[in-house]
Amino acid sequence: MSSDIVYMDCNVSVGAEYAGTYRPCLGVEQLLAEMDWHGVEQALVCHTLERNQSPVVGNAVLAEEIAHQPRLVGAWSILPPQTEELTPTPAFFHEMAAAGVRALWAWPTEHRYVLNRITFGCVLDELSERRIPLLIPCDWDLAYHVLADYSELTLVVTAQGPWGNDRYFRPLLERYPRFYVDISRYELDCGLRELVNRYGADRLLYGSAFPQAPMGGPRLMVARAEIDEPSRRAIAGGNLRRLLEEVELA
Amino acid sequence: MIDSPIAREFLETGRCASCGVIDLHAHYGHFRGIYMPNHGPQQMIATMDRCGVDLMVSSGHTALADMVRGNAEMAAVTAQYPGRWYAYLTYDPHLRELGRRELELYDTRPTFAGIKLHPTFHQTPITADAYRPVLEFAAARSLLLLTHTWGGSAFDSPAHIAQVAERYPSITLLCGHSGHGQFAECMDVARRFSNVYLELTAAYAVRGVIEDMVERVGAHKVVLGYDLPWFDPHYAIGCVVMAHISDEARRLILRENALRLLQGRLRVP
Repeated sequence: MSSDIVYMDCNVSVGAEYAGTYRPCLGVEQLLAEMDWHGVEQALVCHTLERNQSPVVGNAVLAEEIAHQPRLVGAWSILPPQTEELTPTPAFFHEMAAAGVRALWAWPTEHRYVLNRITFGCVLDELSERRIPLLIPCDWDLAYHVLADYSELTLVVTAQGPWGNDRYFRPLLERYPRFYVDISRYELDCGLRELVNRYGADRLLYGSAFPQAPMGGPRLMVARAEIDEPSRRAIAGGNLRRLLEEVELA
Repeated sequence: MIDSPIAREFLETGRCASCGVIDLHAHYGHFRGIYMPNHGPQQMIATMDRCGVDLMVSSGHTALADMVRGNAEMAAVTAQYPGRWYAYLTYDPHLRELGRRELELYDTRPTFAGIKLHPTFHQTPITADAYRPVLEFAAARSLLLLTHTWGGSAFDSPAHIAQVAERYPSITLLCGHSGHGQFAECMDVARRFSNVYLELTAAYAVRGVIEDMVERVGAHKVVLGYDLPWFDPHYAIGCVVMAHISDEARRLILRENALRLLQGRLRVP
C-alpha cells in the first residue's frame, strides 16, 4: 500500500435524515471521525437539508458546518432560476467561493424540476465554462439527457448501486470527456481494473456514499485494486482535487 | 486510523494470513442485467487468491433458471477445485418431480455442501407446500441451507424465515442478505432461533448494520458472502474489517463461524 496516497471522498453528506438512512451522520465531527478511522484525508460534502428540505436552507447550513474545516469542501444544490429562490448567477458563484463551496448537486426528482436546457438555459453553460462539477443521483436517462444538452458540462453520476451499470455508463465515458463516475457503489469484481485498462483512470472518482454506506468497502477496494499506482492515486483523490482546482468562481 | 491488525494487513497486502476468508454466498456464471468481467472459474479462483479467500460455496446462476442443467454445471466446476470450491444444490419449487431427482443426486455430488433457495426469484413463498420436499430433505440430513431473504418480501421476509426455522430446527438456515431492509426483524429471528444465521451479502453496504448485528445478536451468528462473481470481495471485506467491532468479531465473521458451520458437512476435504 502506498502511504502517500491522499484519499478524497467525492460523495458524503452530513445532517439528519427523516427516512431511508440506517445510521445518519449528524454532524461534521462525526464525519471527520469516520474519515480519520478510514484513512480518508478530505471530502466533498453536502448537507442533507439541501435534498430533504430545500437548497435555500441546506446551502446556508452547510456553509456554517464546513466553516473552518480545511479538510472539507462544500457542494451546494441548485434550483431552477425561474423561481428566484437562490441568488442569481454570477453572484451565486461568488457566494460559493466565500463559503468554500466548489461543486454543485442537482436533485430534480426531490425538488420537482426538469434538469435540462429549457429549465436551466445558460446557467449550466456557465457551470461548464467555469468547470464547476455538477453531481447528480444515479439516473442514467437523466445523465444522457443532460449531457446531450450540455456536452461540456463536468457531470458526476454518483452512487450507481451494486447492480451492473457498465452498459449504461460506458457509452457516456466514450462520448463525453467531462463525464465522471463516482465509484462508491461500483462493487463489480475487477471492475476498476477493467475500466482503467479500457478508459484510463482519469474519470473515476473515489467515493463512499457515506453515511448511507460505510466508508470501509470502497476504501479497501481502491487500496487493493489491480491497477498501477498512478491510477490508484488519481482515483483515490487526485482526479477530484484536479477538478476542484480547475473551478473558476471569481 | 483504525487500529486493527486484521484491517491493517488487508489494507497492506489484500489478504490476512491468520484469517483466510470463507465465503458462504457465491454464484457462478452469467446473469441478466449485469456485465461481469470476471465470471470464469479460473478468474474467480484468482479473485479468491487476490483477496485471501480460502474457500467458497456457490450456487449457479444457470440453476436458478434451469435447475437440472445448472446443478450439473456446478458439480462439474467445483469438482475441479477440491477443498477450495463447494456448491449448493439449487432447488426450483415449480419442478417437483425434477426436484426430487435432483435431491436424489445430492449424494453423488460430493462437492455439494448444502441447499440454495431463492423464493423471490421463483416467486414462491418459502413456507409454501412447493418447498416442503426440499425442506424435509434438508431437515432429515441437518443440512446447511442458504436462502435469499429480503425485507417486505411476500416470499422470503424475516417472518417467513421464522416459520421455517421453527418448523425445521435441524436445518441450519443462512439468511442471505439478512432480510435487507428489515434488518431489525431479521436480527430478532436470528436471536430467537439458534439455527438461524445472518449472511452479509449487500447488507454489509448499509452503514451500521454490521455493528448492530454484533451488538444485538452476537458476532457468532454472522457470516460473510458477496455474490461473487458480482462483487469485489474487498468491498465486502473492507466493510467488515473497518467496522466498529472487535478483531475477535471480525475473525468470527470472516472465517470462524463459516468453518464451524461447514464442519462435518464437507465431503471432499
